[in-house]
This record gives sequence, C-alpha cells and structure tokens, in this order.
Amino acid sequence: MLTAEHLCFAYPSPGPGLPTTEALQDISFHLEAGETLAVMGASGSGKSTLCYTLAGLAPRYTGGHISGVVRAAGYDVLAEMPPTGAVGILFQDAATQLFNSTVEDEVAWGLEALGTPPQRIGSLVEEALTRFGLLEARARPPWMLSGGQQKRLALAAVWAMRPRVLLLDEPLGGLDPQGRAEVLAALAVVQHSGTTTLLTTFRPEAAMLAPATLILTEGGATSPISTSAVLQDETRLVEAGILYPPRRWPSLAAQGASSAQPALTLQDVHFAYTDGYAALHGVSLEIPQGQFVAIIGPNGAGKSTLLRHFNGLLRPTRGTVRVFGKDAAARTTGELARDVGFLFQRPEQQLFAATVYDEVMFGVRALRLEDAAGRVERALARFELSAFAQLPPSILSYGMQRAVTLAALAALDTPVLALDEPEVGLDGREWARLLTWLAERRAAGVTLVLVTHEMDLAARADRVVALADGRVVADGTPEAVLPSIPGALR
Amino acid sequence: MSVALDFYVQRDSWLHRLDPRVKLWGMLLGLIAVFVVPHLEVQIALLIGLHALLLCNRVPWAVLGRLWRQMALLIALILILQPFFAPSGEVFVALGPLRLTSGGFLEAARLATRAMAIAFTVGALLFTTDQRALVQAFVRLGLPYSWGLTFSLTLRFLPAIQQLFVTVREAQAARGWVAEGNLFRRLHEYLPVLVAVIIGTLRMSDRLTLALAARGMVGSTPRTVWRDLRMRPGDWGAGIGITLAFGVLLWFGIMQ
Repeated sequence: MLTAEHLCFAYPSPGPGLPTTEALQDISFHLEAGETLAVMGASGSGKSTLCYTLAGLAPRYTGGHISGVVRAAGYDVLAEMPPTGAVGILFQDAATQLFNSTVEDEVAWGLEALGTPPQRIGSLVEEALTRFGLLEARARPPWMLSGGQQKRLALAAVWAMRPRVLLLDEPLGGLDPQGRAEVLAALAVVQHSGTTTLLTTFRPEAAMLAPATLILTEGGATSPISTSAVLQDETRLVEAGILYPPRRWPSLAAQGASSAQPALTLQDVHFAYTDGYAALHGVSLEIPQGQFVAIIGPNGAGKSTLLRHFNGLLRPTRGTVRVFGKDAAARTTGELARDVGFLFQRPEQQLFAATVYDEVMFGVRALRLEDAAGRVERALARFELSAFAQLPPSILSYGMQRAVTLAALAALDTPVLALDEPEVGLDGREWARLLTWLAERRAAGVTLVLVTHEMDLAARADRVVALADGRVVADGTPEAVLPSIPGALR
Repeated sequence: MSVALDFYVQRDSWLHRLDPRVKLWGMLLGLIAVFVVPHLEVQIALLIGLHALLLCNRVPWAVLGRLWRQMALLIALILILQPFFAPSGEVFVALGPLRLTSGGFLEAARLATRAMAIAFTVGALLFTTDQRALVQAFVRLGLPYSWGLTFSLTLRFLPAIQQLFVTVREAQAARGWVAEGNLFRRLHEYLPVLVAVIIGTLRMSDRLTLALAARGMVGSTPRTVWRDLRMRPGDWGAGIGITLAFGVLLWFGIMQ
C-alpha cells in the first residue's frame, strides 16, 4: 500500500551561490494495507520532506530533485499525483492546513473536492466531527480553537476523505501536554479505522502507536525495526538527537543564594485586552535577582500575558511593574530590552532578517551595545551557527531556526531572561542546547522566568508560581507547589 | 502564521442570511452611487445608513470602530492635504502658492466621506458573508471555483498580514527596536518590518498552496457543493429594494 525504494530527494538552491539541500538519502520501506510505521528523527532529519514526497507534493510544488521509487495506494507517485483522497496528509503545523471559516466547512471542503453527493456530506461531516470530539465546535472558526483542537480538526478533515494512506507529520508537534493527550486519543481513532499510516515524530508516546519504527538521521535512515526495541535503546535515540531524558539534564541549581534585591516587582497588576477580555486580576509578585521562577497554569490562565508585562510589550491596565526598582511605565520597550531578554512562543515565526548574522546583530545594533561584532560572533559560535552566518534564517531547519533565536537573545546578554514555553516542539538535541545555555546563564547569576507546561523543568526551578484565571493560586518551592496542583491546572 | 483571521463577524441576522449575490449587487450599486452622486449630504446619509444597517444586524460597534481606526491615516491625509489641491471659494489663509479655502475644505470633507462610504459598503459585504458563501456567490455568477477561492483567500490574507506585521514588530521591539523621529524617518525604519512581513506572507502562501493541493484543489473530479445558494423570495425582494433605492439616488443626483 505504501512503498519507498532507495528514495532520495534534494531541495533546490534557495538562491544564487547557496547550496542545494540533500534532505532524504536512500530510504526504503514497505507497508501492507492497514499497517502503521513510525518514523523517528530529530528536527531537520527530513521527516516533513519524507511526507511531502510520499504525498506527491515534493518536488511538484517545492521544486528539487527526486530519485527512487514511491508507490502509494497503488499509484506511482513520481509519475503521477495520486487522485484526490487517495493519500491524506496532516501537516506539522496544522493551522496552515485550515483555511475555511468554520469547523464544519473545513471538513466539508475535502468531501466537496472528492465530488461527494451533497446530500451525503452533512452526515459524513457529522460523523468525522463526532469521532474527533469536535461536534460542539462545528460552527466555530478554526483559528479560535486550541492547538490540540486544530490538530484534531485537520485530522478529521483528512480522515473524512477516507484516504487509503495517511501521512501524519509530527502529530504531537508544538502541543502542550493537554493538546498531546487529545491528539493521541484522536490517533487511536485513525488506527482503528484500518488506514495505512505513516507517522513522523520524536516523541516516544506517538511512536508507540506503531509496531515498527524507522530512524531518520541527517543523511540516511535505518530499516524499520520493532518500536519497543527502538525505544529501549535510549543511547541511540539520544545520539540521534531525538530524546534528551530529564535524568541526563544539566543541573539548573543556583550557584549561590539569590540576591535580596528584586529584579522584577509586580504590584496588583490587572490587565484587560482591547476587546474587553480581562486576563490578569491583581497579580503581585517579587522576583529577586538570580532567582529561577517557573510559571505554570492551564491554557488561558494568563501566563503569557503576565510575561509580556516584564519587557513592556503589554502595560498593566492597573497596578505597577518595576524592573530593577524602576517603574516600567516610565521606560519604552526598547529601554526595557536592555534588562529583559524575551523569547516568544514559536520564536522561529519571528525571524525576519536577511541573514543569520543580521538576525543576531539586530538587537545588538538596536540597543547600541558595545563590542557588537564580538557579541554576535560569540553568540553564533556558542550555538554552532558560525558556518551559517550568511544564510537566510528562513532556509534553515526548524531546530537551527530555534538556535538562531537563542543566539539573538544570548548576544544581548541581559540580566533577566523571560522565556515563553521555550520547550514546545523541541527535539532532544534542541532540549540539550536550551538547557545547557540556561545552566550557563544561571551560573552567571541571570534571573530566569519561564512559562512552561513541562513539569520536569518546573521541578528544577527555585520557585514555582501557579496561575489560574489570571490570579496566582500557588507560589512556593517546586516541592511545595507541584504536588498540590492537579494535572488539569498545569 | 496561518490564514487565521477573517473580516467575517459570525452572527445570526437578516443581513447575514441574505443571499451573497444580492449583497454583491448591493455593494456594486453602492460603489457606483458613491461616485455618480458625489454630494456630501448623500454620502453622509449613505454612511449613516450603512452604520445603522450593520448595527441592526448585530455587527458590534467594536468592529465598526476598528474599520474607522484602520482608515484613520488615509482620512487624516485627505483632510490635511486635499484642501491645498482644490482651492476655491473664500480664502482663509494664503502662503505663497498654497491657499486654504472654503471650497478646499468642502472637497476634502467630500473625499474623506466618500472613502469611508466605500470602506463601509465593502465592509457590509465582508462583515456579514462567510468565505463559503462568498466563494459560492462568485461561482454562481460564472467565475471558476479556483478564482472565487483565490479572491476570498486574498481578502482573508489582509488581516493575516496585519497579524504578521504585529508579530514581527513585537519581535523587533523585544530586541530593543523602536521607531522614532519624524514621519519619514519612522517610515524608513519600518522598512525591515515590511520586508519581513513580505517574506512571511510568501511563506504563508507557499504553505497554503501545499495544503490546498493535498486536499484536492487541482483534482480532476468535479466539485460538489454542500449547502448551495438558493434565492428565496426575501432575497429577490431585497435585490429589488436595493435597485429601487439606487434609482432614487441616481434621480436625486441627476436632478441636483
């Protein structure tokens, strides 16, 4: 039902003088009807490209050079695009796949493309939405859904077309624990429907859905072997950059006691967005210099809103924010950037410069920091990006783009770092890179404030602040706070 | 970034339920009326009427206010610059060849009102018509499906691009960038933001192409339509009413 033989693919050069990218090299596997195969690989190992080639999208819509044999649902994919509905694909970033105005229109769109009789579409839409737990959201716009719901909707839209082959690219990628649990339940629905499925992932819980796993590395692939054997070989997964188990993490403990001087002080901070939604209700916090604080809470608790007050991207509707004792209201975001380095959620979406060097230099130049070139070169070297300095960030792999965002932050060398869910979507190699850098920053006495859903990370903080409905509901050491917070509030 | 925003305001109202072909017809006649009946009173009346229509059909003030804010720069430029380009009537101030006159101010007010009337005429369609209905309206008017979808997605790209602009500007502000100085210097400093937004838009467009191709945009099977459009008596009545109102406006314009 799905076969790849000696499959090789290279993306075209993104511009004059820039190299082509060998994304896939000599990949072979065969799946009978109804079988499931997991493909594990670190970011940049070619997982998405493999899905694109198997679906017939690459090189047709991407350009590039392909060789080997690909057969899917009985079609020679290199010779002809499989007909609508024969091969379904769930993209890594599900939101890009959703372009209709309502949830039910999203599911109906593919059925209309298949030429399904209109009188049958309603019942098929309803069945798909019921199976994936979205019936109550049928009239909502897709962009109003949570990350997990968006993935489930994209899955429902593809599944409703009853593809014979289903390609799932990182179905758990970019999701918080709640979203991952939702999508795992949805994947069980797909499995029971008997569809031939290939799923790419770096998460063991997703790989466990398949009896066999193929490991993709930059430059090659293993043959499919038993998933349980793959998952037992932790060393191999760590070396491939897929996993970074918490017991291997570097120590994030403080090198000395944190200062009594406050780095960040919030007094009775309230905040409401322009549409009237009140996100914070009287938050008061004092974070001493050098402390490592983890902010936890469910989606919509106000975590990101709170963090954005530290560097002035948001200003309180009521109350005060002080950074190193100075009222933030009297300082521009540009001035606050000297004190507070900020990492956004999905930071790779915020790369804008023409080259990696310019991207890292941007903040250094904007803040007129001394030794600009030295700072940039050290940051590039620190994140092993020196060789890519003159390339556009947009052509780099997801993992390298993440490294660029960290290098841009590192070059500013701020005394406070505020990071918004930095763990989302990270493979093992990126986890290692992030944690090693955070450990260095801690040793340098930097104040760390992290919004996170990763409880292993929160457990290593000096202090955990739990938010719910825009209020602080717990504040103390991880040992005191984490056992008292139920899973749903994390 | 995804195509994740929309002009459409989801409500249940008479205008929302009105056949989109009638709304397209109304928009066309409204735009013609704005140009062929260029009287300030008529355009103010049209603008007030459109506000009343949208508010009665449960489009909130906040949405109308957002459109005013989005048009604010253009309106300000018209009100500031236009009086100098169309001097006539009583002269208030003269600085060399530049003259501020009563006729100039009137012309600026007329142009600004016309710009707002155009924005709200188009807004009345987009705020109350979802993507499916809009695409289907184009298809039933004879356009190929791909054209209708492209047009509709293009409209939806506009707010998505605006969101992208905010995202990039925030990323740059967080790294210490602040646009400062006079208007021209600020515009110049916004250049990197605009470049980043263009690149981001192209990437968004690439991903959308893949998504559409993967779900059968270019398939050989003819598309079917779930919940196809159907003209009801109320839709015909509204169409006739709009046409008659246009006729009255035209007559008023000719008589004036």
